[in-house]
Amino acid sequence: MNQAEKMLKKAETTHDFPIKAKREKKKEEKGINPNISTKKTGLFSSFSLKNRENIQGYIFVLPWIIGFVVFTMGPMLFSLYASFTNYNITSHMDFIGLDNYSRMFNTDPLFWTSLWNTLYFVIWTVPMTTAGAVLLALLLNQGVPGMRIFRTIYYLPAVLSGVAVYFLWMQLLSPSTGLINTALAWFGIDGPAWLFDPEWTKPALIIMKMWGVGGGMLLYLASLQGVPKALYESATLDGANAYHRFRHITLPLITPVIFFDIVTSLIGGFQIFQEAYVMTESGSGGPMNSLLFYNLHMWNNAFEIFDMGYASAMAWILFFIVMVLTVINLRLGKKWVHYEGGDD
Amino acid sequence: MLKGKKSFALFMSLFLIISVVLTGCSESESENASSDQTKDGRVVVDFWTFWGSETRRPIIEKIVKDFNESQDEIFVKHTYLPWGDIWTKNLASIAAGNPADVIINDINTVSHRAKNEQAMNLTKYIEKEDNFKDSFYPELWNAVTYKDEAYAVPFNTDTRLLFYNKDAFKEAGLDPDKPPKTWKELEEYAKKLDKKNGDRYERIGFYPVWGSFGPGSWAINGDQGRNWIEDKEVLVNTEGKVEALSWVRSWRERLGDNTINEFKSQFGNKQANPFISGKVAMYADVATFYTQLRDYGKDVNFGVAPIPAKDEESKHWSMGGGFVAEVPKGADHPEEAFEFIKYLTGVEAQTYWATKNFDNVANIEASKKAAESEELSEEGKYVYQKAVDNLEVTKLTPVPVYAPDYLSMINPQIDAIMLGQTDAKKALDKAQKDVENIVEKNTK
Repeated sequence: MNQAEKMLKKAETTHDFPIKAKREKKKEEKGINPNISTKKTGLFSSFSLKNRENIQGYIFVLPWIIGFVVFTMGPMLFSLYASFTNYNITSHMDFIGLDNYSRMFNTDPLFWTSLWNTLYFVIWTVPMTTAGAVLLALLLNQGVPGMRIFRTIYYLPAVLSGVAVYFLWMQLLSPSTGLINTALAWFGIDGPAWLFDPEWTKPALIIMKMWGVGGGMLLYLASLQGVPKALYESATLDGANAYHRFRHITLPLITPVIFFDIVTSLIGGFQIFQEAYVMTESGSGGPMNSLLFYNLHMWNNAFEIFDMGYASAMAWILFFIVMVLTVINLRLGKKWVHYEGGDD
Repeated sequence: MLKGKKSFALFMSLFLIISVVLTGCSESESENASSDQTKDGRVVVDFWTFWGSETRRPIIEKIVKDFNESQDEIFVKHTYLPWGDIWTKNLASIAAGNPADVIINDINTVSHRAKNEQAMNLTKYIEKEDNFKDSFYPELWNAVTYKDEAYAVPFNTDTRLLFYNKDAFKEAGLDPDKPPKTWKELEEYAKKLDKKNGDRYERIGFYPVWGSFGPGSWAINGDQGRNWIEDKEVLVNTEGKVEALSWVRSWRERLGDNTINEFKSQFGNKQANPFISGKVAMYADVATFYTQLRDYGKDVNFGVAPIPAKDEESKHWSMGGGFVAEVPKGADHPEEAFEFIKYLTGVEAQTYWATKNFDNVANIEASKKAAESEELSEEGKYVYQKAVDNLEVTKLTPVPVYAPDYLSMINPQIDAIMLGQTDAKKALDKAQKDVENIVEKNTK
């Protein structure tokens, strides 16, 4: 609508074509003038302008709607039904009620292992990456010469992604030849076996995640630059020190971004899969299943033993967990997130 | 008026896009239909394998070519699919009702595909042949049957042997023609073969899990060749397996984590293989490891022996795997597909595969022929004969249909034992319970 109006305005000014006047006249007549309606020959000519615009709007979003219904909603509803069956793609899809769900909670020990591993990962990575990103953004918001170069350097790891990075980290984390343990040895620390020691596999992955903190940093940096300088000036005049300025000016003003970061990284954290799949031998879940994350366990059920029904049920439980946590987040958010322009 | 035209144009273009997409689909479908036959009227059999490497691909394609030239009814079209894709692609194509006619698949999971209706029952074709199943090793044939009916035909297999360095044996004062026969001898020899410079090891005589005979394999070797599950009976925490895993762990304790990790970090392929580079004096690996020795370890003076047995009374149990040829359920030309499988698993093709790849094959006669083949060097014949003999004591680990993921209950416990976090008895008791639960749940 906005766009359309702009275009109309443009047409008006450039061609001196009295569309706006015409349109207003039309509005007055409310489309009941038989002269005008018979003149129109287009597809939706019998509709009023408003309806016509609505229909055109829907046509524009149609590709997305078709995509959503066919490729997202369809499969989602299918998986909801499949979660109550023993579907295995080829031979059977019998309704078995809540069996899959009760099996998850009662007889599958790996379900709890995988849920615990995932929770552990989320509990550590979400606060650490958030705090890390804020800290980095604060450092990179100083007026030091050559800051652009630093910003680029710290952002660069976020550009790289995927399997190549995991392979790189597998080399960095290699117990005796890896760069990390080599560096630790300079300080006389005998580094752990990282990906081979069940005590250290998850910490290794969490450290690896910290590497990509530059992506969040960028968001914070943008919002830090949006904090009005005048606030700092007046606070300084009132005798506030650096800590006070941060605590009472900077922090409240960037809470919306912190909130956004926490919500998205929480959801992303629960989806951890690739790291474990790539960095453990044949995607098995690492030593003593210490890297068997929820999605990896689900994937193994779906694509290794083709128990699609059970995997679908697992997917819905994960959806439910994430949904509940996000709702809690949104509720809690109201208490601590500060919106400069008010809540609405 | 202008607007009306625009929306009409938009609608038309959408319509056109959709119709182009739809006709595109129908065109490719009709192409598929016509590719069922060659121009001269031969039935096309789609054959999927994951053999795309520069060594294997020419060999399988030569076999296909020979088959195509041997008759004029069937034309086999070989398609290579990467290892990571082939099973999911197979499954998706079965679900879509348009699978290949012949596919090479894993031997240990044939019964799953039989049960889940992903592979075709081949019994009616096999019955027409005389003594068809007797051409294959019984252990392999067992693995392709489900409820006494065959759903695949074994193609190749492998087996693990002990490679030992004869020069190192002489150096340590051991008889190079007497490889260790029991665990006790193995340990004795290994200690003699260890070479130390001060506190640092320069050579390790033997470390059980290097190579391709893992803790799980030793557990079965030490338990009279009994699998983790035999005929619905869960045999995880048996005395033999507990003892075997404690024994494997004791090697790590004797050599120390640091030595093990340091050695392991220097391992690589080809010349950097620990046995070829002389870092270890004895090494358990698949028979095909010989090709690496042949190509990259010309100066290694080695011998081959069966895997040492637990004691004098026990057999030299070894482990193997393998692949089968099967017809996916819903294939268009099962009869022609079986004709090709017959050729693929017949003496001629199997001998060719065996000698060119130095791979163990499923056909007994072909195995014997390959061991005498002029294609192999004297040394090659010696190793191949040992490998063929070893099939007698080689166990497969078919995954039971009632416990598809039992290994994910056992492996973490084995990890815990190897890391010295729990003792073998306790860990295997836990695994026994977990596996019993699955079996009970799936068989009730």
